[in-house]
Amino acid sequence: MTKRTCLYNEHIKLNAKMVDFAGWEMPVQYTSIIEEHNNVRKNAGLFDVSHMGEIFISGKDALNFLQTLFPQDISGLELNKARYCQFTNTKGGIVDDLFVYKLKEEYYLLVVNASRLDDDYNWLKQNKSDFSVIIDNKSDIYSMIALQGPKAADILDSIGIKKENQPRTMYIKEYALAGEKAYISRTGYTGEDGFEIIIRNEKACELWNLLLDKGKQYKILPIGLGARDTLRLEAAMSLYGNELNETTSPIEASLVWSIDKNKKENYIGKDIIQNQLEHGVKRKLIAFKMLDRAIARHEYEIYSKNEKAGYVTSGGFAPFLGANIGLGYVDTDKNLKIDDTIQVMVRNKLYNAQITTKNFIKKHNRGN
Amino acid sequence: MVARESIFCSKSHEYVYEKDGAYYIGLTDFAIEQLGDIVFVELPEIGSHYGKGEIFGTVESVKAASELYMPISGKILEINEQLIDKPELLNEKEFDEIWLLKVSSEYYDVDCNDLMDYNTYKKEVE
Repeated sequence: MTKRTCLYNEHIKLNAKMVDFAGWEMPVQYTSIIEEHNNVRKNAGLFDVSHMGEIFISGKDALNFLQTLFPQDISGLELNKARYCQFTNTKGGIVDDLFVYKLKEEYYLLVVNASRLDDDYNWLKQNKSDFSVIIDNKSDIYSMIALQGPKAADILDSIGIKKENQPRTMYIKEYALAGEKAYISRTGYTGEDGFEIIIRNEKACELWNLLLDKGKQYKILPIGLGARDTLRLEAAMSLYGNELNETTSPIEASLVWSIDKNKKENYIGKDIIQNQLEHGVKRKLIAFKMLDRAIARHEYEIYSKNEKAGYVTSGGFAPFLGANIGLGYVDTDKNLKIDDTIQVMVRNKLYNAQITTKNFIKKHNRGN
Repeated sequence: MVARESIFCSKSHEYVYEKDGAYYIGLTDFAIEQLGDIVFVELPEIGSHYGKGEIFGTVESVKAASELYMPISGKILEINEQLIDKPELLNEKEFDEIWLLKVSSEYYDVDCNDLMDYNTYKKEVE
């Protein structure tokens, strides 16, 4: 049976087209994916991301426990700071990618993918061993609303959280919202400035409607999962299940920037990841832009000089860029570099594409 | 507007109607609504022949690619060229004003047998 978020009725009232996503009945679009996408780039958008998981880790070994789970070293993580991490398995593959927030000493919030929540929770319990920690999955009592776009800070200001009190980029803060404790982090999945708000279920509708109402003057729109996907692709961000899975390592996924190469502590998969850092990997995630008129899609084949070189993990039309773009894995022995031409097999024909940097769009609206 | 009783639709959501001895093939309003924003249309070569049920092209929305099937057999006389650069016209115009193909067909009456008239089709999909 599919689950519904607390905002389900609001989506129906807003005429959303609903689809099944990771066992949840979610809005895929309200009006048009292109219109919603561009509105987040130009103004602001509101997303129901309540399907995402919130797991709290506490106890005297919280830090030591978490340190065994990912290639990121969070021992120096500042209070109220966020860090993008990946749980790695013994083969160096990715169990999930997540945000870790340090709320207090030995008290962390993990925000994980909806599709991976059960696996993550089991993974944490399985690897708890003798650590003195409490693994508290609070996903069922919290809703999550993302407010994204260049006007996001103005809108948050208009509901009483003044700009000077807002969290800085990659920080989280606790507030009283609608008379209830809420966490607001300045993070997101769009490539824009914005916030993710974690609030108890019973207050979610009130906050959602308040943001839509006060946001009107800033041209806010509700945004479905369709545009969430095109926004993250245009920002060249990975999606678990497409770019990332249990067989892809953070090195292959071009996430080296996110890890700590010299992390002292042992973590699951460390030997493999260290080996990959030293000796390289067989395939690597690249970004590309179609040169010919064709759209690359998930699982289409990538060719280089008429030989198969890899496959597309995500592809599609990028509304703000007005181009067809994609992400995909290519074999490293093909020695492909930025600006090189590759081909994508679309309906049994090869079409040219060009490898690009992962800056399809400049992060033009970053917050302070 | 094309008279609704002269529009016939396939289960794969293409329509066909006859006008001045030629046959016009397009996508139904239901299909366009389901696809959402259309960003790419690929159409066949003029002069080529297609059998009923054969794939003649592709339409892609932001989310996915869908193949297009011939509702009748025929020879391609014309394609709607403006869709190559402006696929979004499919979303913007009335479905019966924006055909994809103009074809000639010798077996229209036979090919039409298993198509639904527009009203029946609308009841079927809604």
